[in-house]
Amino acid sequence: MATFINSKTIFRLLVLPCLLLYSSIAHNSSSVEATMHTNNWAVLVCTSRFWFNYRHMANTLSLYRTVKRLGIPDERIILMLADDMACNTRNKYPAQVFNNENHRLNLYGDNVEVDYRGYEVTVENFLRVLTGRHETSVPRSKRLLSDEGSHILLYMTGHGGDEFLKFQDSEELQSHDLADAVKQMKEKLRFKELLIMVDTCQAATLFNQLQSPGVLAIGSSMRGENSYSHHLDSDVGVSVVDRFTYYTLAFFERLNIYDNASLSSLFSSYNPSMLMSTAYCRRDLYQRRLEEVPVTNFFGSVMETIHTDAAYKALSRKDSGRFKAQMSLDQSVHHHERRTLINVNDQDEILNTKAEDQQGASTCPFTSFYEKLRKGENVDSLVNYGLVAMLPLLGVSSWLFQ
Amino acid sequence: MQKMGKQKNKTASFSFWNWVIASIIFRLILIYFPKNLNLASRPEVSTPLTSFRRLAEGYWLKQLSMSPYAGSMYHGSPLLLSLLGPLTVKRIEGQPNHLLYSLVSVIADVVSAILIRATGKNLRLAYLRSLESLDIVKQTKASGEFFKILSPGDAAALIYLWNPFTIVACVGLSTSPIENMAVILCLYGACSRLVPLAAFGWVIATHLSLYPAILIIPVIFLLGCGPDAPPRKLFLQKNDKEEVLNKSKLPLGFSWRPITHFAFWALLWSAYVLVLCGISLKQFGGLWEMFKSTYGFILTVEDLSPNIGVLWYFFAEVFDFFRNFFLIVFHVNILFMIMPLAIRLNHRPCFLAFVYIAIFSMLKSYPSVGDSALYLGLLGWFVNELADIQFSFFLFCGYVGVSLLSPVMHTLWIWRGTGNANFYFATAMVYACLQIILVVEGVSAMLNHDRKLRNLTTSKPQDAKS
Repeated sequence: MATFINSKTIFRLLVLPCLLLYSSIAHNSSSVEATMHTNNWAVLVCTSRFWFNYRHMANTLSLYRTVKRLGIPDERIILMLADDMACNTRNKYPAQVFNNENHRLNLYGDNVEVDYRGYEVTVENFLRVLTGRHETSVPRSKRLLSDEGSHILLYMTGHGGDEFLKFQDSEELQSHDLADAVKQMKEKLRFKELLIMVDTCQAATLFNQLQSPGVLAIGSSMRGENSYSHHLDSDVGVSVVDRFTYYTLAFFERLNIYDNASLSSLFSSYNPSMLMSTAYCRRDLYQRRLEEVPVTNFFGSVMETIHTDAAYKALSRKDSGRFKAQMSLDQSVHHHERRTLINVNDQDEILNTKAEDQQGASTCPFTSFYEKLRKGENVDSLVNYGLVAMLPLLGVSSWLFQ
Repeated sequence: MQKMGKQKNKTASFSFWNWVIASIIFRLILIYFPKNLNLASRPEVSTPLTSFRRLAEGYWLKQLSMSPYAGSMYHGSPLLLSLLGPLTVKRIEGQPNHLLYSLVSVIADVVSAILIRATGKNLRLAYLRSLESLDIVKQTKASGEFFKILSPGDAAALIYLWNPFTIVACVGLSTSPIENMAVILCLYGACSRLVPLAAFGWVIATHLSLYPAILIIPVIFLLGCGPDAPPRKLFLQKNDKEEVLNKSKLPLGFSWRPITHFAFWALLWSAYVLVLCGISLKQFGGLWEMFKSTYGFILTVEDLSPNIGVLWYFFAEVFDFFRNFFLIVFHVNILFMIMPLAIRLNHRPCFLAFVYIAIFSMLKSYPSVGDSALYLGLLGWFVNELADIQFSFFLFCGYVGVSLLSPVMHTLWIWRGTGNANFYFATAMVYACLQIILVVEGVSAMLNHDRKLRNLTTSKPQDAKS
């Protein structure tokens, strides 16, 4: 009797851990991502207006320039500027925005594409951009058209405080709003990984409510600390850049598009005494180790090139595993060297081209035609043949079946 | 006498071709005006379904490997993209833009005119044959002479070619000439008992714009009974009266064999067309996407930009709660008229087709003048039967007035801002009223004509009552 009770209790004791083990295995397997990193997006937001907030505009434009220099095209950058400093009547240098008193770089250049300008930069529009819930009339250039393979850089600067960020001096974005938007994005598979970088006072508090996996958050200061501007430009008359962004840019100016610097080196380059605040990085939601993530995963856009002759087709999931293996292999080979662009061909294509080159005569035309059809090439010519064949078919059938 | 008749026929056909060539030259002259006289931007000419700009946009999207229906610009068939798409981008040095596309429209118009003429000849032969079998040829001798001067085929073809609406639709780079050609091909095939051709025309016409689907009923009547003829009752009455056992003079009864052939060929052609469309849209969502963007767009009236129809104004102000209800009402408005007309006019399938075309050209989601051009041309087939139509002068003046005032009201509303939408909608309403009057008076004139024939057959043999 005692043994019977004992075995039953033992059985019950074993069931619970087994269930826990099973659920943890299931969770782990579900958290293994089957998607491949296919594109990079950047959402750069400057939330302050008025002339004395020149530095926030310069921050955002500097990061815009950096991100473009490292490879993200304008189509994948959403730039939101709350005010126009370049053509402000108080700007001594019209159509020019500087982030340094040496005036070496004109950030406004020839090639700035602002998507949301002036009063369009509101909390509502910002949240609409993130979640993708727009009116039908909003053009494509104003939408964040990311998908499940996107890495998104979200950079926000302006005035902030404990769990809020001020927009346009009249409204605020709170930490739970941001967390909610990010959660919606995760549900709708709008990003694979998200890097949020905030340069405001008490920036780290904005990340308090984030819960979604795959999010890395870097803030310029902790709770109770202010983020300071770097220096005052006596010619322009206002401070032209913030410290956090200044040192971030100092890090990036050393890089070019092929460099392999990792996020941990970016974060370790922040010196609290120079920043006059403690930069904070929230990594608990981010599964990968920062040492192995190159900065160009978020700030640039270096992709391996897959060469096909067919019209663009999104890669299917079963191919992604194959390419991932090749990518990691190449990374380990060129770890500290210049990374070269990789030409990865479809297996079938390699075989086909080799066969044709070597033999000179192609295989049976029907099988090659069928292969082409299967791969979706020359669809247009097939449709054209079909249309042209319609006419003689019509004529013959009308003549035969009078 | 015969020689003179032959010479007259020759001169008649010679002058017909003269007129055709003159119309081609006239169209070419208009095409060479700069920017096609901006006709392509008129809402009366280019609707979301027939616009040339949208075709070019759809083709460009396709070339960029995006779905041609992205952005809700293009709503037509993918086959038109493959056929006409390359013509939208081809430029010849020193010639006006889109010259090749305009030439395609001109060729489509000429082919339609030739087919209308051939069908008209068929109709005339059938009419004469039926008059002979009713033994009332002598009484209608006056109209018989009239036949020789202007046959219905020539009249209809020339009206179609020289109708300002057709010319404007051709020069204004819309796809209406091609849609009209498909409908006329279908009717020609049905009149000439070429079943594969009729099935092809019907499938293509339905594929390009949804509404010609209702023409299946006149096509079935044409294939089953033959072209227009007086009611069967007359033939039976005549035989009963005179007790003539000559059955060969009776018209053929309804035969089902051509109908089964038609069904087979229609299925074959629709499978062919759908397979081609499916292949060309395989990567962009396939056939369901195509149906949603073409037929779905037509049926749900998504685009409310002004046109010469009456739906846009109404759907701009209807509440969302009632929107589906009124969509059903407007489309059933067309469907309700099919059955009664089919019952009443089953002995005259070509006229039934004309009435159906007039009805759906008026009540379709996005009408344009190209659609009206079709039925105004087909009106020419019935110049003899409809000679006594009432209000003909009023209708003619009304059409002229509306076609002149409608652009004026549009300019007042959009460009000058001194008018509003009601100005433009007023002309659209008047246009709809004119079309309704035309249909009603046309049907009553045709029925009067049948009544007249019945009186002629049942009356005692006397002098000609014309």
